[in-house]
Amino acid sequence: MSAATQKVPGGAQAPPGAAPTSILGLILRILALALIDGITIWLVYQMVFDGYWPLAATLALVTIWVNIVFLSGRFYPLRYVAPGLALMVIMVLYPILFTFYVSFTNYGTGHLVTKELAIEQIESQTYLPPDATIYQWTAYRNPAGEYKLWMVNPNDPTDVFTVVPGQEPVARTGEPPAELEGFTQIPTNQLFGALGALSSLTFGVKPDSAFQVSQTALGQAAQYEQLYVYDPAQDAMINQQTGEVYYNVNGTFTSESGATLTPGFAAVTGLQNYVRLFTDPTLSSTFLQVFIWTVVFALLSVLLTFVLGMFLAIVFDVPEMPLRAPLRSLLLIPYTIPAFVAVPVWVGLLNPQFGVISQMIAAITGGWVPAWFSDPMWAKVGILLIQTWLGFPYMFVVVTGALQTLPNDIYEAADLDGANAWHKFQRITLPLLLVTVGPLLVASFAFNFNNFVVINLYNQGGPPMPNVPTPVGYTDILATYTYNIAFGAQGTQDYGYASAITMMIFLILFIITQFQFRFTNMLEERGRNV
Amino acid sequence: MRNKLLLVLSVLVIASMVLAACGAPAATPAPAAPAPATEEAAEAAPTEAPAAEAPTEEAAAAPTEAPAEEAAADTGVSLTIWADEQRAPILETLGDAFFAQTGVKLVVVQKAIGDIRSDFITAAPTGSGPDIILGAHDWIGELNASGLLAPVELGPNAANFAPNAVQAFTYTDGKVYGMPQATENIALIYNTDLVPTPPTTFDEVKTMSADIKAAGTLYGFLRQVGDPYHYYPIQTAFGGYIFGQNADGSYNAEDLGLNSEGSVAALTWLDSMYADGLLDRNANITGDLMLSAFQNGDAAMIISGPWAINGIKAAGVPYAVTNIPAGTQPGAPFMGVQGFMVNAFSKNQLLAQTFLQTFVATDATMQAFFDQDPRISAWTPVADKIEDPDLKAFSEAGKVAQPMPNIPAMNSVWGGQGDAITLVETGKLTPQEGADQAQSQVSTAIAGQ
Repeated sequence: MSAATQKVPGGAQAPPGAAPTSILGLILRILALALIDGITIWLVYQMVFDGYWPLAATLALVTIWVNIVFLSGRFYPLRYVAPGLALMVIMVLYPILFTFYVSFTNYGTGHLVTKELAIEQIESQTYLPPDATIYQWTAYRNPAGEYKLWMVNPNDPTDVFTVVPGQEPVARTGEPPAELEGFTQIPTNQLFGALGALSSLTFGVKPDSAFQVSQTALGQAAQYEQLYVYDPAQDAMINQQTGEVYYNVNGTFTSESGATLTPGFAAVTGLQNYVRLFTDPTLSSTFLQVFIWTVVFALLSVLLTFVLGMFLAIVFDVPEMPLRAPLRSLLLIPYTIPAFVAVPVWVGLLNPQFGVISQMIAAITGGWVPAWFSDPMWAKVGILLIQTWLGFPYMFVVVTGALQTLPNDIYEAADLDGANAWHKFQRITLPLLLVTVGPLLVASFAFNFNNFVVINLYNQGGPPMPNVPTPVGYTDILATYTYNIAFGAQGTQDYGYASAITMMIFLILFIITQFQFRFTNMLEERGRNV
Repeated sequence: MRNKLLLVLSVLVIASMVLAACGAPAATPAPAAPAPATEEAAEAAPTEAPAAEAPTEEAAAAPTEAPAEEAAADTGVSLTIWADEQRAPILETLGDAFFAQTGVKLVVVQKAIGDIRSDFITAAPTGSGPDIILGAHDWIGELNASGLLAPVELGPNAANFAPNAVQAFTYTDGKVYGMPQATENIALIYNTDLVPTPPTTFDEVKTMSADIKAAGTLYGFLRQVGDPYHYYPIQTAFGGYIFGQNADGSYNAEDLGLNSEGSVAALTWLDSMYADGLLDRNANITGDLMLSAFQNGDAAMIISGPWAINGIKAAGVPYAVTNIPAGTQPGAPFMGVQGFMVNAFSKNQLLAQTFLQTFVATDATMQAFFDQDPRISAWTPVADKIEDPDLKAFSEAGKVAQPMPNIPAMNSVWGGQGDAITLVETGKLTPQEGADQAQSQVSTAIAGQ
């Protein structure tokens, strides 16, 4: 190895600082980057406009980094991983961090907007002093786009004046003319288009003659007063009419008597969501029961689908099996039907009174039918039945594939040793299969742990539990249970609390899968010894 | 090397700019600042010749006396409205007339009714929301909690709106937050072959059900398990209630009546239907099953809404619609009201309000809505002209209807009350136990809000 190549960072394949590739390659690369940059600029523009600053910044930084990697020869080796890393940051890391952040805020119903926007919105509220006159206006516009109002007091025909923004009113008499000192009366068919401009203006001079047009009724104007003024020193809103002070309490301006102003804004509330999660008595009393069923549900879903899938795969692996190919295709059908179609169909089939399956069971048992939806045990059996039907084709495909990789010589050796079929399965096939499909089983477990769709479609988590402090059903898993708490039963969209719950489920699942991966590693070691 | 990098970068930046410029116009949001655009458009107007459609109606509250015979020039201003697929086409037609008369473009965005609320909650605070949405009155609790709605002025023809529909859109602060368009309520639908004269009390429902069942039909009266919405008329018939009402008709979240004497009596009646074998505790009757049982002639009486009628007609079952039977008092169903709400974050609120007052609150528009989507109109001149016997019957049954509570506390009711009804219907709890559980679960949930 020469001294020259040793200086090159990034391995033997990295070219030195000279021109990296052909002109065509360079042009293609620049075009691709230009496309990505163009899309990014468009997206960032959109996001900034909508107020999504953190996401816009993340996207911009990631894109700049990608540009540097692809334009500078120094980071050549990074080019292989850059697309994957960039997508991971945007699609995986950012959402996780954002969820983590939201879990420390009270973002949700009543706290949707930013503080600046909430203040602006509250300060835009006006009130009409009790003795104020409501005038009727006629609008004028001049070629420069300035507006003038001709105002008439409906209770006093002599109280007539015109007013423009920033100047004192001028007294008038008679009917509004078509033309007035360079201003033209806005015809009806143009008036609607001018309403936005008219209602954003203040006519006259503050404080004694400042008129605004009514936001709700066409043709009315009055001296509206600003109802609330924000005081940054106290971080409070002050009601100009009553003098009442509304202090900022966790993102809601609240008076001492408990009255609140809307909108509130999203505020960082620290650990409040987590404290609530761990101290909520309605949650803690049923949490364990739901958690146990969640684990049982996920484990049994994986186990049953795997056993059935593996059994069928081994059966169909025998070359003498007639019609092997078409039957194998048929077995895939459940996998191709989406759950939101398959589950309701199953619910219909199982219906104790009208369902075909239940009627068949009734014919056999002489009228007795499992209470698939009202009995806790049978509801769980019903869900696992559907889960097995939905999930076995996946395991069937996976195991069929894995079986092709098993070496034949081991089986020949086993035959020589006089092993029977069961022994071969138990000692050779199963351990070797588990090495391959073990990680898939873990993934399947994690998926079913949060399998919201099937639970919700089957019976919305029912049948309900009696004598519990919060609505919860026997087949509710953590995902449906907490969904109801964060979005249903409280009657609000509590994203902050939901995020805190999500973080906890993430943690639980992380711990469980760590154990499972340790177990599959063990299997792998055993697999090597077969 | 350095020069080359500079060259590469500048090419890149130029390319990006070109692409960004191509992409940008599509991104420009619709409601722009109106003033400058108005001027340019007004000046450019004479060269354009908009469709010369004679204006059908003069704007009622227009303060000027200037003539408006000729079609208006494009003012460059637009008004955005979100509506469902039933009513978006009507609004689009209306938009043409609106543009011809005012030069303001009506941008109608069609969305699934379920998406309108959630998308509005996301979009409104960022300023990219529509000026007007068309939705259900029970949204206003949640939307008001976030300060997203502006009070709506019903205008000079306010008296034409059905009073209980306006009441439904009235929030606890006494202000009206929507212009009602159509109302909806459930009623008793019965098979005229099996039930010659409809029952007027729930006791009759029970005896008739027993007779009908004895005569060989699977069910007399059938209802879907759980479901507080379809249960509410039974609950009120026996004097039960969910929220007590204040003197002005608004609901009081403090007064929760899920285990009041009347509510327990209603559950007791329901439980007795199961105990007597007239309903099946384990049958898991869903809404769809209930409707198909009625369509197949397996059920003689159900409680459902106008949406069930098309299916029943198609099935060819002889049917009629009538009032909800009484218990100790007439059974009052919930009334749902559809209407127009104005975005508090809109920069064009006066325009939105004026549009609603002068273009929507008219006989012609309200009639067009009714013709396209036959729901009981909230506009009495149109509602009074309804000929369809079914709709008339639903309208009659709706005379005693109570607006579905629009206070946020109502969202806490569905879960606990639904579970309690299910537990009583499946025989897991007695009526008193079920009512007590509902009361405690719902009050806990409301307290946690």
